[in-house]
Order: sequence, then structure tokens, then C-alpha cells
Amino acid sequence: MLSLRIAIRFLLRSPVQSGLIVAGIAIGISVQVFVGSLITSLQDNLVQTTVGGSPQVTVKAPDQGDPVVWSGRLSATLEQDPRVTAVARVRDYSALYSDGTEDAPLNIKSGELREMDSVYRISPRVVAGQARLQNDDILVGAEFASKFAIGPGDEMALRLANGRDVRLTVAGVFDLGNATLNERQAFTAPGLGRSATGFDDSEHSAVETQIDDVFASREVAAKWRRELPEVRVLDWQTQNEDLLTALSSQSSSSYMIQGFVLLAVALGIASTLAISAVQKTRQIGILKAMGMSDGAAGMLFLWEAAILGVLGTAAGLVAGRLLVWGFSFAPVSFSIEVEPGFVLFSASIGLGVALMSAVIPIRKTSRLDPIEVIQGG
Amino acid sequence: MAETLLVVRDLGKTYGTTAPTRALDGVCFEIARGEFASIVGQSGSGKSTLLNLLGLLDTPTDGEVLYNGEPAGTLSKSERAKLRNSLIGFVFQFHHLLPEFSVLENVTMPSLIAGAEFDADLRRRAGETLEMLGLEGLGGKNADALSGGQKQRVAIARALMNRPALVLADEPTGNLDTANTDQVYELFRSVSREYGTAFLIVTHDRLLAQRTDRILEVSDGRLTQDVRNPRTAGKDTPSPLRSAS
Repeated sequence: MLSLRIAIRFLLRSPVQSGLIVAGIAIGISVQVFVGSLITSLQDNLVQTTVGGSPQVTVKAPDQGDPVVWSGRLSATLEQDPRVTAVARVRDYSALYSDGTEDAPLNIKSGELREMDSVYRISPRVVAGQARLQNDDILVGAEFASKFAIGPGDEMALRLANGRDVRLTVAGVFDLGNATLNERQAFTAPGLGRSATGFDDSEHSAVETQIDDVFASREVAAKWRRELPEVRVLDWQTQNEDLLTALSSQSSSSYMIQGFVLLAVALGIASTLAISAVQKTRQIGILKAMGMSDGAAGMLFLWEAAILGVLGTAAGLVAGRLLVWGFSFAPVSFSIEVEPGFVLFSASIGLGVALMSAVIPIRKTSRLDPIEVIQGG
Repeated sequence: MAETLLVVRDLGKTYGTTAPTRALDGVCFEIARGEFASIVGQSGSGKSTLLNLLGLLDTPTDGEVLYNGEPAGTLSKSERAKLRNSLIGFVFQFHHLLPEFSVLENVTMPSLIAGAEFDADLRRRAGETLEMLGLEGLGGKNADALSGGQKQRVAIARALMNRPALVLADEPTGNLDTANTDQVYELFRSVSREYGTAFLIVTHDRLLAQRTDRILEVSDGRLTQDVRNPRTAGKDTPSPLRSAS
């Protein structure tokens, strides 16, 4: 490993120059790790906030208002699909609440609390009273409760769309993190939904599901459409094109930033190594005159690039983690998760960029004629 | 009669294509093992070109160079590099030591290039070579920390490290004062006698050339003289070599 030994000596001979290259790589890699992880975490948070607590693939009847029948075929399709993580059979109906001076419409979902919890995560977000849906219980949102000064244990009179009046007991108040939902949405037990919609036991307004990969909703929906032609299958991605476009644009701008940072790093290393090759022309020439092959002479700069790449990348990964740690003190609602796979990817990029930067000096060194050096003194 | 080491046969070199310059033309001579010869000539006469061709640093336009009867022209670039490493030692006017390395490391460099390990045996051999050249105790010093004469002696030690059959020296005393010039000459002589190493010394210094056994004169790219030196014939110069047991 004579080439490695000489490469180390060359680097140690110019410690400031070597240190500056390492710092350059470290800055580039730390920015890449930080920006990449920041954007990924931000998008994950945004997606989770948007669709984490709502249906991602929904099965409905082909015509609006008609029920979807919870048949053996439908249940088998959903149960056999390993990507499905939650299923909630719900009946949707609307009702009008009035406190005597003001009316407020409510969109009500009725179903088993356990099933609706799996999609809407209601129970963990109950802020007052109990997460309970027995016969005449109703769960209302925080904005609605606040607006009409209603709390757990209070009775509410509702007029259903079919004109029937019902009296329900507020079991709990939830906060879904969305003011509109907190004001308009309510949940009741299955029985009330059945009588409000006129559907029988097997009939539901919708079967709402969540899947393990939220970005697979299009594929899952397409598969179910093929297998269940008698129903309508809706996926959140198709219904939220604008959000996806925004996420995609954000990703593109992040990739551009990372790309330009890495390009700047590559140019920095390449130019410094090229300068180093010029500085070491005399040494390379004399080594070649003594019998060092072109390949071994070129290897000197490959080793230099590899050493600088490894040191710079390692320092960059540490600096990137420090930036992420520093970000944890920022007043934002999410934290940055650094994925090991992304760290590995960044490390590979750092090393790869460094090695590629050695191409010019390697070519220059390989072509160097020792006679030029010997005669030049 | 000594065995032939080097054969130069009708050697020629032309530089350039649009305005070709004939730097060397029809040069023929032979060098025997252990021979102690010099090449003299004016600046631009072609002697450095000749040395580069003999050192396999350059390829001839015409003719050929044979080492131990094998033509070097058929060798690939990497094969020439290997042959250069094993067969030839170079001493230049400028010492060309590597400032990143110690004296000992500089001396061992040809062996390391040949694939040797920097182990105790190699260090011992390098130490012996340094001692032979009066440089004992300097192995650990950085090459930059030596005087001009010491640097040139380290360069000579490096050239001798692989025990080459031929040492090509290009103006080896060009930057040295008279005392150091004498010392270098005596060293060359002693090594030649001790190890049977052939020396081919390119020099402007007529006095130095006249102390070699054979003088080859190059003029306008041609070998114009090839004479045995009657003054050195049968002369036994006292050896400055130390015991290298």
C-alpha cells in the first residue's frame, strides 16, 4: 500500500489545505443530511396530520345516498389485503342542533367506537368526559361544545334529516386538531345511525379504511375496483391532488438544494485535488522515474480523495446530527427524524463525490512525463 | 572480457512533426558490466536525450536499446517502469528527494516501489547504504533538513538501494562545490568497484569526465568520440567505502 502511505504524507504535508477540503465536504454532507431529513420529516408530519386520522381508501355505493352492503365478498377482499390496517363501517347522517337562539348543523358518523377509533383516533383525542358510545351517547367536538356551552353529561336535542327529534347525552368532547371538524363533526352509536338512515344491519354509508403505506392508496383502490366492480372506491391521493403536488414540489426544491450543495462540494474537492496534483508534480515525476507505474501514481490521488471523503463525510454526518439536535429546540410542532437509510445514502454520496472528484488529477498524474520534471529541476 | 550490459544500436530521436528536430542520430555503443564511463557534450548536443532513452524514460524514433541482450523497445510502459526500477539507478543534478519523507524512507523508496515491505530487513539495508555514504544517524531526519551535499549523497544512496546494474547520473555534481564533487566521484568509483555497478555519468565537467575510464562525446546528436581514458587505465583509486558488514 505504498500509494496509500504516500497519499497520507501528501495530505499531512499540507494540513490547512487538507483541513479545508474536509471542512468543505463536511458542510456539504451536513446540509444534505439536515435539509433532506427536515423535508422528509416535515412531509411525513403534514401527511400524518392530513390523512393519518382519516380514511385513506373508502368504499361506497355507486350512487350517492345508497348503502354499501357489507357482503362476504367485500369483507373478504378487505380482510385478505395485508396492506389494510383499519376498517370502520359507518353510517353518515346529518342533524340540526338548536339552543333556542342559534341553529347548528352536525355531520354525524355512527358506528362501533372501536372501528371508528381505528380510523379517526377519537378516544386518544377526547379532552373532556369519556370515550364512550352506548345507545344514546354522542361525542361532540371542542369548538361545538365551547360555542354552545355543552359538556359531558349534558343532554342534546337533535332534529334528524327525516324530521324525527332525538335526545342524546354528551359522553365526551374531542379535539381532532381541526376547527371545522371540531365544530361540525359528531359520532354516535350504530343504532342511531341505522334508524336515521333507514339502513339495515348489513348496510352502511361507507366502509372506511386505512392502509400501511398512505402513498399506496391509488394502487389499493385500483385493485379493489377490479375485484369489486359493484362498489365505488375512493382514495385520498386522487381526492387531494393539490396537496400531493405541493409535496412533490417541496421534494423537488429540496433535491435541487441538495444537488447544488453536492455539486459545489464536488467542484471544491476537484479543484483542490487538481491544485494538489500540480503541487506534487515534482514528487510524482521522480516516483515515476524510479519505476512507479502510471496506475500506482494515479492511485495516490484516489487514496487522497478517499481519505478526504471518509473524514469529510464522517464529520458531515456528526455535524448534520448536531444541526438536527439544534432544531429540536426550535418552536415547531414536529421533530426531525434522521433515517439510517438516508444517513447511509448521504455517506455514499459524500464518498462517491470525493472519489469522482479525483478523476481529473488521476488523469493528469497518469499522463505526467517524468522527463519534464527531471529536466525542469 | 566483461559481460555486455547495455547495447545501443543506431539510436535516433526526432521531436515534433510539423517542424521536426533531430536530437539524436545513429548512436551506437556498448556498456559492459561495471564499466565507469562518462558522456560529455555541449548544451543541446543531445546527451540528455540519450540519457532519457537509456533510462527508458523516453522511446527512440529509430534504433534500439538492449539490456542484457533484450530489446527494451518491445516492452510496455509498465514493463519499462519495472525494468527501470530493478536495473537502473538515477542520480540527477537536482537531488529530487521527496520532502514529505525522512531520509531513510527516501532511500527505501525504489524498494517500496518494487513491492518490498518497510520492515526491519529493508530498514537495515537502507541503514547500511546510508552508512556506506557517510550518512549514518541521519535516517530519521527530514530530507529538507540536510545540506546540499548531504542531499546529493542521499539521492545516490537511493539510486543504489536496489543494487542496480547501471547508474545513470545526469550532471550529478552540477550543484556541488569542488570538495563535494570529489566526494561524489570517489563514491561512484567505490560503488562501481565494490558491487560491479556500471556508471554512465553525463557531465559538463571535463575534469570529472577525465577521471572516468571511458569518455563518450556527443555533438549535434551524434556520437563523435568514444575513447578509453589512458589516465585511469589500471589505476586503483583508494576506496572511501566504509565497512558495510
